[in-house]
Amino acid sequence: MAAACCGLKLGAKVPDFQLTTYDPVKDDFGTFSMQEQINNKRWTILFFYPADFTFV
Amino acid sequence: MGCDIVTVSTDTQFVHLAWKKSEKELANVRYPMAADPTGTVSRMFGVYDDATGLALRGVFIVNPEGTLLNAEINFYNLGRNIDELLRKFKANIYMSRKTNEVCPSKWKDEGDKTLVNPGAKMVGKVHEALQV
Repeated sequence: MAAACCGLKLGAKVPDFQLTTYDPVKDDFGTFSMQEQINNKRWTILFFYPADFTFV
Repeated sequence: MGCDIVTVSTDTQFVHLAWKKSEKELANVRYPMAADPTGTVSRMFGVYDDATGLALRGVFIVNPEGTLLNAEINFYNLGRNIDELLRKFKANIYMSRKTNEVCPSKWKDEGDKTLVNPGAKMVGKVHEALQV
């Protein structure tokens, strides 16, 4: 995984990364992969927030 | 609209599971909740706060080629506007189909006024172009 720091520029290709997920539909853990999104030709919205159990 | 939403925080997937099952406000959530406990991906997107170990309120739209098209980051105390996010997303989809058009600030949805073939002829004449 690329250890890029401090933000990506608009128009730049997002480096590949994977994250473990909790998938509420399957009620199971899974993996999100940026490369898989590209392979599947899918748009992606990444939504960051500070913490679970707070007041998003 | 052919888009995958994924939420990310520095909590683990175990906490995501517990939160989803405990908080009734999340009853309708269907998107995957990603765990970034090391902050690696949060740092990559520039939303990691070293002072707290938490991710700021960032939202990023990435097209099917993997190119970053929009970024919005708010501090802890300001929520994001979902209508604006949807507007930006719809505009990106529209412009990916109509590559000679651009969406001005008041564009909300398909059918709204766009600027077609912006170029030398439109310089200083944007007001007129928006009236047509």
